[in-house]
Amino acid sequence: MTPREEKLARLAPALRQAWVREPEPPRLVSIFGDTGERGPSVHYLLDRGQADYEEIEVEAATELGSLTPLAPAAAWHEREVHDRFGTVFAGHPDPRPLLGHAHDALAAAAAADRPEFTPVAGEGITEVAVGPVHAGIIEPGHFRFSTMGDRVIFLELRHFYTHKGTEDLLAGLEAAAATPLVESVSGDNCLAHAVAYCEAVEQIAGLEPPPRAQALRLVGLELERLLAHVGDFGALCGDVGFAPMPALASRLKEDLLRASARCCGTRTWRGVAIPGGVTVDPPAALRQELAHAVEAAEREFATLAGLALRTPSVEMRFEGAGVLTAGAARDWAAVGPVARASGASLDLRRARPRGAYRRQAFTPPILAAGDVMARARIRVLEASLSAQLILETLADWPAGAVRHPVPAGLDGGGLAAVESPRGELLYWLRLRGGRILRCAIRSPSFQNWPALPSAVIGGIIADFPMINKSFNLSYSGCDR
Amino acid sequence: MIGDLLLRTLRAPNRLVPLASLGGDNAAGSRMPEITCAAMTPDIAGRLAASCPTAAMRSGEEAAGAFFELDYAHCIGCGRCAAAVPEAVGPARSLPVCGVQRARLTRRWNLATGAEVARPPLSGAALPLVGLWPCFDPRQRTPAGAQGVPQLPRCAPTAVPELPRLDRWLGRAVNIRQLDAGSCNGCEAEISALNNPYYDLERLGAHFVASPKHADLLLVTGPVTRNMEEAVRQTYEAVPAPKLVVAVGACGCSGGVFASSPAVAGPVDRIIPVDAYIPGCPPTPAMLATGLAAVLRRR
Ligand code: SF4
Repeated sequence: MTPREEKLARLAPALRQAWVREPEPPRLVSIFGDTGERGPSVHYLLDRGQADYEEIEVEAATELGSLTPLAPAAAWHEREVHDRFGTVFAGHPDPRPLLGHAHDALAAAAAADRPEFTPVAGEGITEVAVGPVHAGIIEPGHFRFSTMGDRVIFLELRHFYTHKGTEDLLAGLEAAAATPLVESVSGDNCLAHAVAYCEAVEQIAGLEPPPRAQALRLVGLELERLLAHVGDFGALCGDVGFAPMPALASRLKEDLLRASARCCGTRTWRGVAIPGGVTVDPPAALRQELAHAVEAAEREFATLAGLALRTPSVEMRFEGAGVLTAGAARDWAAVGPVARASGASLDLRRARPRGAYRRQAFTPPILAAGDVMARARIRVLEASLSAQLILETLADWPAGAVRHPVPAGLDGGGLAAVESPRGELLYWLRLRGGRILRCAIRSPSFQNWPALPSAVIGGIIADFPMINKSFNLSYSGCDR
Repeated sequence: MIGDLLLRTLRAPNRLVPLASLGGDNAAGSRMPEITCAAMTPDIAGRLAASCPTAAMRSGEEAAGAFFELDYAHCIGCGRCAAAVPEAVGPARSLPVCGVQRARLTRRWNLATGAEVARPPLSGAALPLVGLWPCFDPRQRTPAGAQGVPQLPRCAPTAVPELPRLDRWLGRAVNIRQLDAGSCNGCEAEISALNNPYYDLERLGAHFVASPKHADLLLVTGPVTRNMEEAVRQTYEAVPAPKLVVAVGACGCSGGVFASSPAVAGPVDRIIPVDAYIPGCPPTPAMLATGLAAVLRRR
C-alpha cells in the first residue's frame, strides 16, 4: 500500500468512497458530532461545486480513522469532535484538546502525556508568547512564535479562550427564540449569523420569507460587509503607520451605523432577522436616507483607499508580505475574501445564491497574489460591490409583507450557508417538536484561523500584526 | 498622497458630538426598552415577562405584594417586549443608568399601585425566572451542567459602597485598558468607535493603553469564560492600585445570553470586584461615553 492508500484505508467506508471519487478530492466544509436520535454520529460536509453540499453521516464508534493526514483542514474539526463527543480519531497527528484548556478535566488528562505546545528547539531559536490578553481593543487568543532572528520559523495558535458553549445552549430552545443567541456568536457579523440560522429554520418549514424581507436582509448583509471591509482596510493602514486612514475609515463607519440606526432602529441589525422574515419595515424616506449614506460613504472610501494604496510606504509594506499560496488556501479549505485573494473563486452569493441575491447579476472579484496587498485590494473591490448591491436593491424595493408566519412544532433538518463578510458561514440545524435538537455552527473564522500560520511563517515577526489584520478573523466566531 | 488625505481630513465637516448632548439620546439605536405606560398592571407585567427571552423583565412576589422588575443588566435590547406590548414599552432614547452601581440597573414596579418603586431592593437567587429560554430556567437544567460542571448561582453583585474618588488622583487623565473576557466582539466594535471623530473619548482625558500596568481603569466586556477566568484575575492584579473596574454589556453585567453556560464562569463581578456597570447589547458609543463620564465624574 502507498502511504495515501494506508491513510484512506483508515477512513470510514462511506467517507472513503466520497473522498476518492474523481476527479479531485472535495473541499472539506465541516465535520461535527451529533448525539442524534439514532445514536451518536459524526457528520462530514463536503463541497464538490454542485448545488448542494454532500453530507456523509458516519456512526460514531469510539474510534474513527482521521481525515487530517489527507486533508489538513480536518485537524481542528476532529479535535473539537473529540473534545465534545469523545470520539478518538486514529492517526490524527495532533490530538491535543482544543476547546478547554486549564479547567477541563478531560483536557488535563489528554494533555498529560504531551507538551502543551509543539516543541521547537535549536541554536538561536527564541520563543515569543503573545496573549491571550492582547495590547489593544481586541479579542483574546494565544500565539506562540518560534523565531530565528526576525524570521518566524514556526507559529502555533491556541484559541478558544472565548468558548462559551453556544451550541450546547442552543439545544432545547424554541426555534423562534434562538436568534438572540446566534446573534452573539460573532458580534460584528450578527446579521449574517441570524440570517443563516433563519434560513435553516425556513428550510425545515418549507417556506421562503416575503420578497421585501429578502431585500432587507440583502441590504443588511451587504452593509455588514461594507462596514467590515471599510474598518479592516482602515485598521490595516493603521498597522503600517498610515494614521489618517483608520481615522477616516472610523468616521465612514460611524456615518453608516448612524444611518442604520435611523433606518432600522438598530446600529448593529440585532433583532432584525427572525424565522419567516424580518421585524422592521423602514418607510421609503428612511430607505432613501440610507441609500444616500451608503453612496456617499462608498464614494469617499474608494477615493481614500485609492490614495492610500498608491502611497509608497503602504505599498512597500503590503506587497509580497504574508503570502497565502493558492495551494495552502486549498489545503486549509480557506473561505471568504482570504481565499478569493489567493485565487479561489468561492463566493456563496454566486455559487449558491439565496433570497434576493438570485435577482442580482455580478461577478465577485478574485485576485491571485495571496499577499497582504491582495487581501487589502479585495476588500476595497468588495466594498464597492456591496454598495452597488445595496443601492440596486433599495432602488427596486419589493412590495408586500415582511414576515410569513412560521408554523409551531417543526420537525426536520436544515442546512443554510451565507456569505458573511469573512466568508462561508454554515448552520446545520435539527428541530424536533419546534425545539432545537442540535445546531452546528461552522464559522468562516474556524476554517481560516489554521491557515494563518502558513502566511506568517517565513516572514518577519514585525509583520505579524499586519498579516493577522489582513485576515481579520473573529475569535468568538471561531471559539463559539 | 498622505498630504491629500490630510487635506481632506481638514476640510471634512466637524462631526464631534458635544459632550453635553451625548446623554440626551445615548440609547438611540440600542433598542433598550423604556416603560411608557402610565400604570404597570399585572396583565401588562405578565405579557412583558412572557415575551422577554433573558428574564430581564420578570414578575415576583415580596412581603409588600406582587411586583414587576426590569433589570437592564440582563436586557439584550432584542425588542421583543416592545413588539409584544407596544402600548407599554418603546425604545429608550436616553438611558441614564450607564456607569452606575449594580443595584441601580434594576427598576421595580408595585403591581398593586402600578407605580414605580423609588429604590428597589437588590434581588438575588430567590427570583423565579420565567424567560422563554429553558437555559434561563433553573428548573429545566440539571444541577450538574451539561459537562459535569456545577451550575453557578445567579450573579450576586459585589458590594462596592461608593465609587472611590479616583478623580482626585487622576486629575484630567485616565488610562483605560480594555479587557475582553470572552465577549462576542460586539462590545469591542462599539468601544473602538469611541475613538472615532464623533465621540473622541480623549476629550474626557481618557486614553486606551496597551498594558494593564499603565491602566487606571479596566473596561471589561463579555461573560468571563472558564478559559479566560485566570487571565482576567491576573490582568486585574497587574493594574496598579487605586483602580476602577467597569463591566460592559449585558454579558459583562449579568452573563447576558450566556449566563447559564457551563463553559462560562459568570459575569465580571463574580471574578473581580466591579465598581460600575454599563448595560446594553452592545451599549452604543454614546452610552459608553456617558457611562465613563459618570464613573469619572466628568460632565
Ligand atoms: S431582553 Fe429583549 S424582551 Fe427583554 S427587556 Fe430587553 S429588549 Fe425587552
